[in-house]
Amino acid sequence: MTGGSSAQTAAVEAVGLTKSFKSTVALRDCTITVPEGRICALVGPNGSGKTTLLRCLAGLARPSAGVVNVLGHAPGQDHEFLANVSFLAQDVPLWKRLTAKDHIAIGARLNPRWDTTGARHRLAQLEIPADKPVGTLSGGQRAQVGLALALAKKPKLLLLDEPLAALDPLARRHFLGVLAEDVSEGGLTVLISSHLITELHRVSDYLVLLAASRTQLCADVDDIIGSHRLVKCPGGGGERVPAGVKVVNSFRSARETTMLVRAGAASFEPECEVHSVGLEEIVLGYMSQGAPADLRLLHAQGGEG
Amino acid sequence: MNYLVWRQHRNQLGFAALGLALLAVILVPTGVHLASAYSAAIKGCGSPGTCTDVGTGLFANYGLLFDLIGLTAVVPALFGLFWGAPLVAAEIEAGTQLLVWTQTVTRRRWLAVKTAWMLAAAAVWGAAISLLVTWWSGPVNAVDQSRFSLGHFDTQGLVPVGYAVFAVALGIGVGAIARRVLPALAMTLGVFTAVRFAIDYVLRPHYLAPRTAVFPLGSQSAPPSGSYWPINSSILDASGNVFDKVHLVAASFPAACRSLLGSAPFDRCLGSHGWKALVEFQPANRFWTFQAIETAIYLALAAVLVLVAFVAVERHDA
Repeated sequence: MTGGSSAQTAAVEAVGLTKSFKSTVALRDCTITVPEGRICALVGPNGSGKTTLLRCLAGLARPSAGVVNVLGHAPGQDHEFLANVSFLAQDVPLWKRLTAKDHIAIGARLNPRWDTTGARHRLAQLEIPADKPVGTLSGGQRAQVGLALALAKKPKLLLLDEPLAALDPLARRHFLGVLAEDVSEGGLTVLISSHLITELHRVSDYLVLLAASRTQLCADVDDIIGSHRLVKCPGGGGERVPAGVKVVNSFRSARETTMLVRAGAASFEPECEVHSVGLEEIVLGYMSQGAPADLRLLHAQGGEG
Repeated sequence: MNYLVWRQHRNQLGFAALGLALLAVILVPTGVHLASAYSAAIKGCGSPGTCTDVGTGLFANYGLLFDLIGLTAVVPALFGLFWGAPLVAAEIEAGTQLLVWTQTVTRRRWLAVKTAWMLAAAAVWGAAISLLVTWWSGPVNAVDQSRFSLGHFDTQGLVPVGYAVFAVALGIGVGAIARRVLPALAMTLGVFTAVRFAIDYVLRPHYLAPRTAVFPLGSQSAPPSGSYWPINSSILDASGNVFDKVHLVAASFPAACRSLLGSAPFDRCLGSHGWKALVEFQPANRFWTFQAIETAIYLALAAVLVLVAFVAVERHDA
């Protein structure tokens, strides 16, 4: 990984993507690039526009403004686009009265590449009854059926909206393992939205962070971790930030100021402690921007870097 | 896509097949019985026109079946409710449009195949029920001479096919706009009923300009004949003034006839004084023309509604 995305072909590109529904703006001026072959975590607080972004990429929602490019096409009603993009919606919509087997058989007739044996094998492995109406399955089992269908399509881009929510920890790990395996075979890019940052971090090497309906971060995970620091300076002033350093979030107590900063190799004053910081802390730091001080999570973490 | 339609709708089709079979089980034996009883009854009196009381004995035990025949007019609405309204609305309500619209099938094709199957099913079922009812009603049509009346015109011939196709198209169109099953059901039922009533009572009498027959009051074999549809009737006095029956007062009549008012020879007396009856009517031989016109109207409405559904689905934005 070089960290630069420009050298690689982008699987997903959005420039100034805005989507509004009547009076509410669900996504504002979103600009992202996800290179091919990555597993990209899409994170952000509730209502930050993750679902809207995924639906725009899947061609289900039409952008109000901006440009979307998915695998070199604008999302639309053409076979090439539809065949190459797989979308698993939140809450895993399935035809309740039909069985998993029915769903697989239907998918086989609606898609040019379809891995029937793979999908059946996956469900058998997870001991999910393929002959029962999916409405009678548990939420976790339905999610697995939805994931099996999304993968069976053999897409080039897989869009997953909160796929982990219904899964137990073991199933999550198994699923993410399968995902990583499929991506390693090449030709697949995954965008996966979730609140489970730590678990996503296990497989994802790219991250898009939406907050306040805007893109806050869009970069290689290693680059994100490498460019952020947690800085603690004594005293409540805390305005001694070197040039070129962006303060993402800060918390001041009478004793010290804690800041999440994005910086290169900037040097802070000697009395300040500089720690490296984990992905989850970085994400939370961005997500709690502008939140009331007692809701900012920054101060809760020590400098375990 | 055909496989998807079959998987999703085979239960509905199964129920509809069962219902149709049940109707056939009831109507076929009784129809055979009715037809033989009818042919035996008219043997004695030549043509149906000359033995007017033949129906009284013949149909006495068929009251329930007449009700059943009348009820078949409701069946198209059921197609609209069960096949039409949920077609798009149930998918959107359950969120499964997100599943099916991200398979390698365009929305247009998805809707086209589903709609085509449902409309075809409606046409087939509508035609089958109409065939049964029309055949069963043969003796009734011959005796009652009332093919234009409600419960007869709208359960026989071509129009049930038009109603069924319209009802399903209505359900699909309304469902695509409402996006929720319950409102779609309510609107389908409401609009279907309103359209049926409006066309039955307002439009149908005017498909073609009615014929007019003028004949002396009290004449024995007055036109029109056969299974005609009276639209309007009035009375002309000797000098050609038209009276609505409500506007007639005793003083309007010729003096010679006034004493007969209320008795049987009164009409004949008026007739002999040059008074005439005027009847506006749709003649019996226009039955199939009217059936064709009405079916065409419903099919045209169905086409508009299908178009509405396509526009709504293409524009759907999640």
